[in-house]
Amino acid sequence: MLTRPQALALVLRRLALLGRELGKPLLEQANEETRLFGEAAALDSIGLVTLMADLEEDVRLASGVSVQLADEKAMSRLTSPFRRVGLLADHLIDVVEKSTPPA
Amino acid sequence: MSTAVITGTSRGLGRALAERLLAEGWSVHGFSRSVGELTHPRFTAHAVDISDEGAVRAAVDQICDPIDLLVNNAGSASLNALLLTPGSVAASLMRVNYLGAFHCLQSVGKAMVRQRRGLVINITTVAVPLSLEGEAAYVASKAALDALTKVAAAELAPQGVRVIGLGFGPLSTDLTRAVPALKLAELDARLGRPQGTSLSQAVDFIMHHLPAASSASGSIAYLARL
Repeated sequence: MLTRPQALALVLRRLALLGRELGKPLLEQANEETRLFGEAAALDSIGLVTLMADLEEDVRLASGVSVQLADEKAMSRLTSPFRRVGLLADHLIDVVEKSTPPA
Repeated sequence: MSTAVITGTSRGLGRALAERLLAEGWSVHGFSRSVGELTHPRFTAHAVDISDEGAVRAAVDQICDPIDLLVNNAGSASLNALLLTPGSVAASLMRVNYLGAFHCLQSVGKAMVRQRRGLVINITTVAVPLSLEGEAAYVASKAALDALTKVAAAELAPQGVRVIGLGFGPLSTDLTRAVPALKLAELDARLGRPQGTSLSQAVDFIMHHLPAASSASGSIAYLARL
C-alpha cells in the first residue's frame, strides 16, 4: 500500500530529478498544484513518458507492486490524472490498490 | 558485462544469436513458450507467451540487471494465398509477429527509458519490401512491425534508446521447413544470395549492427540485394 504523503513524495522527488536532468528548475519547485501536462504545463509528451516510466519503477520499489500508470482507463478519462501533481499522486494510490492481490 | 533479452531462443536464429552473445561474454534472457535446451551459466530461460502482456511484464520485472539489448526475434509464418488464409491464421500471425514484439518493446522499452539507453532490434523480413505473393498475412504482420520500429525509434530517441529493424531472406529454420526447395532457391537468387543465408551469416549481420555508429535509429536494413 501507498499513503498519500508517500505517493506525493515519490512524484515530487522524481520531478526534481527530472528537472535537474532536463534543465527545468520549475520542476524542482513543483507542488500539488503544478500542471504536468496540457497547456502551459511543465512537461512535454516525452517528459511525461519519461516521468511515467521512472515512477512505475519507483512505485514498484516502494510498494512491491508492479503497476502500469497509463492504462486504458486513465488515458481516456476526461479529467486525466496526469494533469496535476496532486492528481497523479492520487492515481498512484489508486493503481497500487487495484494492483495489490487480495490478502 | 552486457545483458540482452531475446525472444524465440528455443531454436533457430534466436538460439544461434543467444549462443554468440553468450560466447562474447553477454548475459542473455531468453523468452520462449517452451524453455528449450540451451543451458549456460549466463543464460536465463523464461517460459513466456509474448502475446500475453501480463506475462511479458512479469518476466521483464524478474530481470534485475540493466537491459542493453532487446531482440524481437520470435515469429511465426504461414504460406497461403490471400483468399485461402483463414482469419484465425491472420490473427495468430499478428499476435506473435506484431503484438508479441509490441509487448516486449513496451516492457523492456520502459526499462531502457529509465536507463536512458538501450538498443532494440526487431527482426523483419525481405518479404515486406518485396510484397511477396502467397504470404499476405505474414507480410502484413511484419509490415506492422516495421511501422512500429519507425515510430518507436522516433519516440524513444530523446531518451537514448535506439530501435532498428534487420531483415533477412529465407533462413534454414523451422519457419522455412515447409517451403518447397525450388521456391526458396528462386527467392535466394532474386535476393543476390544464391547460396542462401546461413544462421551464422544472419547472426554476423545482427552483431555488426550493435554499435550505434552502424545504423541510424529507425532504419531497417536487409541482408539481401533488393
